[in-house]
Amino acid sequence: MVITLWMLATIVFLLVNVLPGDVGRKVLGPTARAEDVARLNETLGTDRPLLQQYFTSIKNLVTLNFGDSYQSGTPVSDLVFPALGRSAKLALLAFVITIPISIAAGIFAARREGKVSDRVVVNAGLASSSIPEFVTASVLLAVFAVQLGWGKVYANVPDGTSFFGQLDYLLLPALAMVFSYFGYIARMSRSGVIASLQSDYARTATMKGLTSGQVMRRHVLRNAMAPTITVISVQVGYLFGGIIGVEKVFNYAGLGSTMLNAVGKKDIPVLQTSVLIVGVIYMVSTLLADLLIALLNPRIRLDAD
Amino acid sequence: MTAIDDTPESNDPVPAPDAAPDVDSREAAAAGRKAARHETLRLLMKRPAFIGGVLIVMIWVVCALFTNLIAPYNPLDYRTGLNMSPSWSHPFGTDKGGRDVLSRVIAGARDVLKIAPIAAMLGVLGGVILGLLMGYLRGAFDTVASRVVEAFLSLPVVLLALLAITTLGNSNWVVIGVVATLFTPVVARTVRSAVLAERELDYVTSARLRGESSLFVMYREILPNISGPIIVELTVRIGYAVFTVATLSFLGAGPPPPSPDWGAQVSDNYNSIVAGYWWSTFFPAAAIASLVIAVNLIADSIERVVKS
Repeated sequence: MVITLWMLATIVFLLVNVLPGDVGRKVLGPTARAEDVARLNETLGTDRPLLQQYFTSIKNLVTLNFGDSYQSGTPVSDLVFPALGRSAKLALLAFVITIPISIAAGIFAARREGKVSDRVVVNAGLASSSIPEFVTASVLLAVFAVQLGWGKVYANVPDGTSFFGQLDYLLLPALAMVFSYFGYIARMSRSGVIASLQSDYARTATMKGLTSGQVMRRHVLRNAMAPTITVISVQVGYLFGGIIGVEKVFNYAGLGSTMLNAVGKKDIPVLQTSVLIVGVIYMVSTLLADLLIALLNPRIRLDAD
Repeated sequence: MTAIDDTPESNDPVPAPDAAPDVDSREAAAAGRKAARHETLRLLMKRPAFIGGVLIVMIWVVCALFTNLIAPYNPLDYRTGLNMSPSWSHPFGTDKGGRDVLSRVIAGARDVLKIAPIAAMLGVLGGVILGLLMGYLRGAFDTVASRVVEAFLSLPVVLLALLAITTLGNSNWVVIGVVATLFTPVVARTVRSAVLAERELDYVTSARLRGESSLFVMYREILPNISGPIIVELTVRIGYAVFTVATLSFLGAGPPPPSPDWGAQVSDNYNSIVAGYWWSTFFPAAAIASLVIAVNLIADSIERVVKS
């Protein structure tokens, strides 16, 4: 994990530094005087050789010193962590809605395998997960927030809003994400349940007289959920690809918007930190998924011993 | 998954492992593959989802090829009235610059239909080469490459592409190159696991004992036998490429202006939804949705037919 993290940091460093774009010029704009630009580059350290900059950035990373924003001069952690908190709130709401709905839809479809209702779930899932999040977000914005007047056009929650008051702001952007993640999770839980229903232990459980509900709860679901949990954990990591678009449509000041601003201004410290946070979230969520799967399925625990 | 199965119904026939490596058997294998392709096509034509997907893609291809004949107005022309709601003369209305939305939606098919398939093909090409090397050579090369692939996979493609394109500047070729590069590790992982299953089989051992070079074994022996998963991967990647290119262009890292690209149109106009001008965002958004769904229907049908 440390090695992967180091590689990630290197990839990000290379990506933002491949072309020697003049950082000082980018920050100060095209009308600034050349000596001001040079002075800024000297203060920021962006005039030093690339290798030296690389070692500085890795050293800062190890000591958790994220540096200051090139753009505003405030510490990166003050910018990035509150934004991460806002994105996490939005993402959490999206997952709290998505996970039960899509697992239920998957089980529903699996028990009706091959029937019309199964095909509806499968194809709706395929369609919903293939549409980019920003497309869903802008259609929801047009239909619900503007035409019907439900929810808010700008998702930024004013300070001190009550819990249910916040839902009013966050529900529409969260629904755009729900729409995208529903498909993968529903299809995965459907195929897990189908495979598990056809197994010998499910048949034994049915034959010894358990009701179909008992078979489902005690035997099938435990085994069928492993691939679903893996997909959910991957979605948690990939969420930050899609959330940028959703945050842009709803003008929400989360990590996605922060990254999008930093990209435009070449604010490298902010970018590097944000992207690394996204990578760490992915790694932690896949790790948690592995632990959860082991918890659900004793056989995997025994294998590891 | 590559089913090793040389029954006549198989869609992915493998030359019998004990076949002598003479010209006759190779021709027979080629003929077998041709018959299998025919069979795959026949099975595909029985799927309504596949036919529907192909029809939608064909409509957009026609729009892209004959934009000038189909579009009622010049997609870049600013002269008509601003934000006019849909009417007979402007079926999809006009946008905030007074341009005809229908004409822009028709013209918007061009860039994405050029960029997405080329990017997906280059990405699959890179992934096949890398995956074959990793799976066949194993050892230190595989270990190091697997680590790099893992690091790439821990970040969303859209995010990495956004970073790369902002540093490199946006042009169609940069978008193609970046998307292809970011698809390479994903494809390499799939190809590697397919190669790992193949390399222990008898036909690979016998080719090696014959003294064939690694290059020959990889490209002439293993590659034809993993063509099923590769084709599936290619169609799935084209779907992702459309998705990625649309998202990038919405975020300002797509084909450069004044391209009437769909994602860029949504990005230009979503702020005027609040004023009630929904059409200038809705129609390009619907166009993106129809194309990605169509490509995914095709990919899903191919995957089911190849795997069955």
